[in-house]
Amino acid sequence: MAHYETDEPIYALATPFSPSALAVIRASGDGVLSLLQPYFSTDLIKARSQQALHGYIKGKDGKRIDEVVLIKYSKGHGYTSEEAFEIMCHGSLPVIRSISLLLEGIGIREALRGEFTYRAFMHGRMDLTEAEAVEEIVKAKTVRGAGEALERLSGTILEEADKAKDSILNILASLEVQLDYGEDEIPEEWVFPSSEVRKITDRLEAIAATYASSRLWSEGASVVIAGRTNAGKSSLYNALLKENRAIVSPVEGTTRDYIETDAVIGGIPVHLYDTAGFRDTDESVEAEGIRRTEELMDKADLIVYVIDPSSSDIAPSDNRVLTVYSRLDINRREAALSFSSVTGEGLDRVIEAISSRLTADLEETAGVPTIDSERQHDKLMEAAAALRDAEKSISFGLDVTAMYLQSALTSLGELTGEVTGEDVLDRLFSSFCLGK
Amino acid sequence: MRDYDAIVIGGGHAGIEASLALSREGFDTLLITQSLDAIGRMSCNPSIGGLAKGNLVREIDALGGEMGRLADKAMIQMRILNRRRGPAVQAPRAQEDKFTYSRLAKETLESEKHLFLFMDTVVDLITDDSKRCVVGVVTERGWKISAKAVVLTTGTFMDGKIFIGEYDARCGRLGESAAIGLGDSLRRLGFHTGRMKTGTPARVRKSSLDLDEMEIQYGDDPMRSLSFETDYVDRPSLPCYVTYTNDETHKIIKDNISRSPLYGGKIVGKGPRYCPSIEDKVVRFPDRERHQIFVEPEGIGTEEMYLNGLSSSLPEEVQHAFIHSIPGLRHAEVMRPAYAVEYDYLDPLDLYPSLESKILSSLFIAGQTNGTSGYEEAAAQGLIAGMNAAERLKGNKPFILSRTESYIGVLIDDLVTKGTKEPYRMFTSRAEYRLSLRHDTADQRLTRKSYELGLATKERMERLEKKSEDIRRVKEILQHTRIGQKSAYDTLKEPEQDIMALGIEALGSFPEEILNEAELDIRYSGYIDRQERELEKARKAENMEIPADFDYDSVDGISSESREKLKAVRPVSIGQAGRISGVRVSDIAVLAVAVRSNGHGQ
Repeated sequence: MAHYETDEPIYALATPFSPSALAVIRASGDGVLSLLQPYFSTDLIKARSQQALHGYIKGKDGKRIDEVVLIKYSKGHGYTSEEAFEIMCHGSLPVIRSISLLLEGIGIREALRGEFTYRAFMHGRMDLTEAEAVEEIVKAKTVRGAGEALERLSGTILEEADKAKDSILNILASLEVQLDYGEDEIPEEWVFPSSEVRKITDRLEAIAATYASSRLWSEGASVVIAGRTNAGKSSLYNALLKENRAIVSPVEGTTRDYIETDAVIGGIPVHLYDTAGFRDTDESVEAEGIRRTEELMDKADLIVYVIDPSSSDIAPSDNRVLTVYSRLDINRREAALSFSSVTGEGLDRVIEAISSRLTADLEETAGVPTIDSERQHDKLMEAAAALRDAEKSISFGLDVTAMYLQSALTSLGELTGEVTGEDVLDRLFSSFCLGK
Repeated sequence: MRDYDAIVIGGGHAGIEASLALSREGFDTLLITQSLDAIGRMSCNPSIGGLAKGNLVREIDALGGEMGRLADKAMIQMRILNRRRGPAVQAPRAQEDKFTYSRLAKETLESEKHLFLFMDTVVDLITDDSKRCVVGVVTERGWKISAKAVVLTTGTFMDGKIFIGEYDARCGRLGESAAIGLGDSLRRLGFHTGRMKTGTPARVRKSSLDLDEMEIQYGDDPMRSLSFETDYVDRPSLPCYVTYTNDETHKIIKDNISRSPLYGGKIVGKGPRYCPSIEDKVVRFPDRERHQIFVEPEGIGTEEMYLNGLSSSLPEEVQHAFIHSIPGLRHAEVMRPAYAVEYDYLDPLDLYPSLESKILSSLFIAGQTNGTSGYEEAAAQGLIAGMNAAERLKGNKPFILSRTESYIGVLIDDLVTKGTKEPYRMFTSRAEYRLSLRHDTADQRLTRKSYELGLATKERMERLEKKSEDIRRVKEILQHTRIGQKSAYDTLKEPEQDIMALGIEALGSFPEEILNEAELDIRYSGYIDRQERELEKARKAENMEIPADFDYDSVDGISSESREKLKAVRPVSIGQAGRISGVRVSDIAVLAVAVRSNGHGQ
């Protein structure tokens, strides 16, 4: 059974998870400062406690995530009285998300609701009355089951997890029979049910993989409109947004940098980028714009590549590319996806194509329930990894195999928020004829 | 009659350990038993140890208990079970000469100068009502004897009743009267009692068996000891025999199933699922073509053989018929019938982890009375109850072993936290951290604790120190010996490696057990590290104590369901509270905050 812990590194977003000017992420627990240090540009160890430090948060790839202000707390100071820090970053969702991912990646887990308060109280540092502290935790029980992960767990996931748990429990019971009864009573050798375990593992991983696609819905897909200069990119961009946000002019190279707008296309939340066109140029400002376009294209979920049908341009070969021809009113290309920003003809087909391409990933995993939280994803992957380790361990010792199977069950139990699982022994007695 | 420091009621495996622990710590202890001829009697199978149970025996021994030493002196076969299935789940099992075991047990009790033996039946407890504590006992023959602590170990005798088909009798064992009266007295005092059932198979005469029709099962050679104090086992090794039931056996049983008191509804007590009677096996698993039967000697100076796997409560003529349908047993002369026994047990949820009663202080309860089954489970509780009675007499804090360090801790924690609905038997799968609970490390886990309380002897402690030093030296040598690119130490982490096969000369002077133990430590170190973090968390929660008088009603924010469960169990720590089934994580957090703010916590 899980407990609220003290000292284990945890973090939480202290401000709401919605776009705003500033966001505050705080972390607490033994060693949080040294865990973060490699990813923060200013020396945390030398700094005084309660000092505000300016610096950059870097991702694991070394790239800057954001410019932030960080307040350091040594042990004995701060809210929880544990070693802690608070990061004030820009309140954009990708920034918050990237920092959260980084913290999780370096071994700081997401806090349970009320866990900071709990720690403050347990360390006797907090000036709150007992009632207040208790209330906050109690509130957590209704909001989130305080760590029982029922927050957004759909019925289908619950069913799937229970099904996997049931199968693993059966396998574990068949193994435990061998471990808890002597070889003279159960002389048969236990055989690891590889194909069954692989089926479960694959299924858990398939569900975990839906996290990426469901992220598309909750955070928005990035769609980059690219193409040569003057191919009609901004016309498409504006037509898609149905408003004149970008400057549209017949002169090549007007959109020198890129423009970003959040929109909903075909029901999907989208970050839509209009970019600088590709063209050989000596002009340094424009060259910089093109470089940025390339960067954007790298990260895009979908690249809408616009081609002037009178040109000889060919779309780059990339499976994220959707080729669209402009100026349908002037130059009609049969059988190709075309539109006219003047008449509006063909736009509906372009929109449909964009949304169907974006949801293609989702359709691929049809029949697999989707999850929408990092934690659920992690628990599923933990369970899958434990199952793989279980198979690898059979040559080592069945007692170790049993430990891995048990650990897979624990991860799935944490996923569904089940407090006490079904007893392996109950399963064992009901399925096997035992006892001298 | 004079007063005693402590009284132990019952001379079975729990009573033996409890009375020895108390008297060896210097307390004048009176053991009262219904029969001085039945001390340490093995009512059922003639063996000690086995999977998980063998670990218990070695833990009892490591703490200075007697079971391992008695078993070493009375064994007639020894096997290490499950060698192939992983070191964490292998364990020793010894077949025993029942008569020698029982005689040696009595001799051991008689040799303690602070221990007194008396034959009578306890029918009531004397209590001090103002303090809600026990101050003595009343016996059937009218003795009133005072003591500052009482350990209750009634086994299957409290209102015991045996069943053989239509026959029943008020007995705790065949031919031995039940203890009548104590159950009613305890109910009057507010104890929660229930009925449980267990059974034992028939005994047959060896010379009437067709031994050549059965498979022979030999023991290990050399014979290993159960006790850490035994250097060398010099005992005869007798074989056991294996045979199987068949269609005819099953038909006889099915045809007569209505005559079983289990199926006729005469027995209400719950029996153990892991040790079903033969009629249970036949009814519940109709597809099984045969069931395995082990034929085991009951001792050296006896012809009686134990039919392991054939426990039953069917009428005797039915028993004879199905026994005679089995190869090897076709001409068997049945000397004692199989029978079922039903008895009163006391709800272990009424106990603290020290095995002291929540209802009556200074009363400790151990063994089958708490709803367990098995000699080893009984002895383990008897030992802990005795040790805690001694701590209580010294005015010290209770001695509690945790789940993370011992099977004994798992056993007692399960009982007092979850209770039990069937006779509780130890299984390795009940222990979350079984990789750390190998039988060969019991001394390293436990002996020092007992030594510090004054039970384990100095000699035992010195043995442990020598062994630990030897293991340390072996590991050091392995670290400094290179095998190819790696140290011998790292080489041993690979599954197929064997310390003996490495051919390291410097290891030649160490005993095999030391080498094996060092090898297992090394091989499993990665997995044990994996468990360490979990273990650390568990220990922390275990160390957050909840005061005995904690008022659960004063805490706002605990769900009423959890509150009732907490009040029923009265956990001693946040860790124990977290294991009560159905109590929510958030309620435990609220509780921790409340305990902390009460100023008692941490």
